[in-house]
Amino acid sequence: MSEPIAWIETTTVPSTNGTRVEIFDPPMCCPTGVCGPTLDQTLLDVNEMILSLKAAGVSVERYQMTSQPAAFLNNADVMRLVREQQMAALPITVVRGHVVKVGAYPTLAEIKASLNGATV
Amino acid sequence: MGKTSMACAAAVRHADEGKRTLIVTTDPASNLADVFEQVIGHHVTPIAGVANLWAMEIDPDKATQEYIDRAMAPLRAAFPAQMVQVIEEQMSGPCTAEVAAFDRFTDFLETPAAGDGAFDIVIFDTAPTGHTLRLLELPAEWARTIEQATASNGQTCLGPAAAIQSSKLKYERALAVMRDPSQTTFVFVLQPEATPIKETQRATGELAKLDIHTHQIIINGILPPEEASNPFFAQRVTMQNRYLDQIARSDLSRMPLPARHMALLDGEIKGVTRLRQVAEMLFDGKPRPRTSALVRPVAEEHLVLSQADILPRVEPNGHQRVIFFAGKGGVGKTSASCVTAVWLARQGHKTLLLTTDPAAHLGDVLGVPVGDEARPVGGAPNLWAAKIDPKGAAEAYKARILNDARRRGRPPEALKAMAEELDSPCTEEMAAFDKFIDFASQDEWDSIVFDTAPTGHTLRLLELPIDWSKQLDVKIFASVDTAAADDVAKQRFGQVIEMMRDPQRSTFAFVMYPESTPIVEAYRAAQELRTVGIEPGLVVANLILPPEECTTPYTQARRAMQEKYLAEIADRFSVPILQIPLLPHEVKGLTVLESLGDRVLGAKGND
Repeated sequence: MSEPIAWIETTTVPSTNGTRVEIFDPPMCCPTGVCGPTLDQTLLDVNEMILSLKAAGVSVERYQMTSQPAAFLNNADVMRLVREQQMAALPITVVRGHVVKVGAYPTLAEIKASLNGATV
Repeated sequence: MGKTSMACAAAVRHADEGKRTLIVTTDPASNLADVFEQVIGHHVTPIAGVANLWAMEIDPDKATQEYIDRAMAPLRAAFPAQMVQVIEEQMSGPCTAEVAAFDRFTDFLETPAAGDGAFDIVIFDTAPTGHTLRLLELPAEWARTIEQATASNGQTCLGPAAAIQSSKLKYERALAVMRDPSQTTFVFVLQPEATPIKETQRATGELAKLDIHTHQIIINGILPPEEASNPFFAQRVTMQNRYLDQIARSDLSRMPLPARHMALLDGEIKGVTRLRQVAEMLFDGKPRPRTSALVRPVAEEHLVLSQADILPRVEPNGHQRVIFFAGKGGVGKTSASCVTAVWLARQGHKTLLLTTDPAAHLGDVLGVPVGDEARPVGGAPNLWAAKIDPKGAAEAYKARILNDARRRGRPPEALKAMAEELDSPCTEEMAAFDKFIDFASQDEWDSIVFDTAPTGHTLRLLELPIDWSKQLDVKIFASVDTAAADDVAKQRFGQVIEMMRDPQRSTFAFVMYPESTPIVEAYRAAQELRTVGIEPGLVVANLILPPEECTTPYTQARRAMQEKYLAEIADRFSVPILQIPLLPHEVKGLTVLESLGDRVLGAKGND
């Protein structure tokens, strides 16, 4: 599957080996996990995971529907999953253009495994 | 305070001097259309009777809707209906309105144009205090937040860092314009009274921190000295003179442009002719025109105070009652809450009086210092008082969460990112509300009186659709780590919101004085609270002129204006109205509070 196009919203510099992880979030008011009266440890885990990946030189993009609709609309796999499964499809994780996880956030281990070629 | 009328008078003057002038309001409670006596609306509109003058009323609800529609447009066609609905629900949360308001504000600082060219002057009748200041501070915060976020996980509370890069430039331009005295003049309008002076000093200080400097003050609402022939007003004139002195000696009088004084007029400022008169007073120092005697004498007090209607909404009636006083700054929430709390205590109810006012105004009015813990008020048996410090509460909140995260082994970069996020204004609001819940959960109080009220905004933050079935930790019980935690949290918040919706256990009292802007503001606040199921319980109409003191054409004209607005209040709010009379002196000290309470709530049961 070819890589998605039209990354006009992004400003991150692609890493030297072109590794890219993309996370398509479910609708949420705030992706940080610390908004609202309770904490969302899952979101905090995801944020932490992203920090680790970036520290290892992996480029990570995270998309919200309301801020980067183009990212969703331009990815045929993501749109197909969303049409088939609706809310249940999200979050969707894409590694090097391939969907590796649907319906839940991946763990750091799972992402590392897909980066090394395994399918999840 | 008279911002709108001063801004309109200035607008008319500039236009009359040949400058292409646009006056903009972003305040939904502003009565620009009333003042110019014509329809204006959500677009640039020429003002009849004044060449070179245009006006625009930004409707924040419309603007938010426009913002949402723009964001939703690409999604509607492509996404399944169920998802579109969920996304739309998300977007109708409080954060969207904040972002939309911010977006809009900065748009206006880009030069708008009409007809054949750009405007020479754009006047905003919006006060850069509180909410708007938050918006102004955002560019500075955003610059910092975006750097942090880009370096970390790319997320901030305000949306992914990348998505707001282009906005960042817009906001930086906006800040640059506001900081440049050759492009922007900041004028503060205040009345010669304690709270407005404090507020103005605080606000000018906040702006100065952003490198934005105030250039002029207008002291409005000055009683004509000839009204001092009546001893009642003589005392008020003396009081005002004391504050005028205080202003003259403070740094508020050391601005690049001289302070202007404006008389309290005998009625509303409406229509272009009147505005030109006001401009002559403001800019040319012309004296106030004489008031002609009213054709019709002042009516008898026809809005009869019905204590039978009011007391059931104030007294505990067998269960703890919490009373919230809602309203914008300067309407008299602190006075009203102190009068009520003192009265309740005198009836024998164990009463806690709470404030979140950073200026600790409560202490001034009560005459005793107020701290973080509930302390008895000397001289008032049954009365305790405490203040909630939103900033301090937010710090404690933040510390608890970070400690928990640290204990879970989250790495330093993650902690740093969390700390940045927790600096958002949302955190302060919720931390303050959390502290309030602590107090409200204490059974020992018969009555709890709060000199402020959580907004619909805060309550909606608490009601954000949360998946309660997920494994959640509760900020308040940071050490609890099981599914039971979300039950506890749900219970805690759920109980309090239920209390707020129950008219037997809580009363929302909307405070206003009989003029257009405070009434509209209160009305909007009430509508907002309705969206979370809370109905107004009472209206407090403050600063009512005693009819027997209105013996001159000037005071009779003002009293007639008040009566007109009292009727409007009765129209808009179908709840009992508690009238608090204007006193010849300030509402300060237990003696004054006690006698005022007896007067407005009844003297039963006192010794």
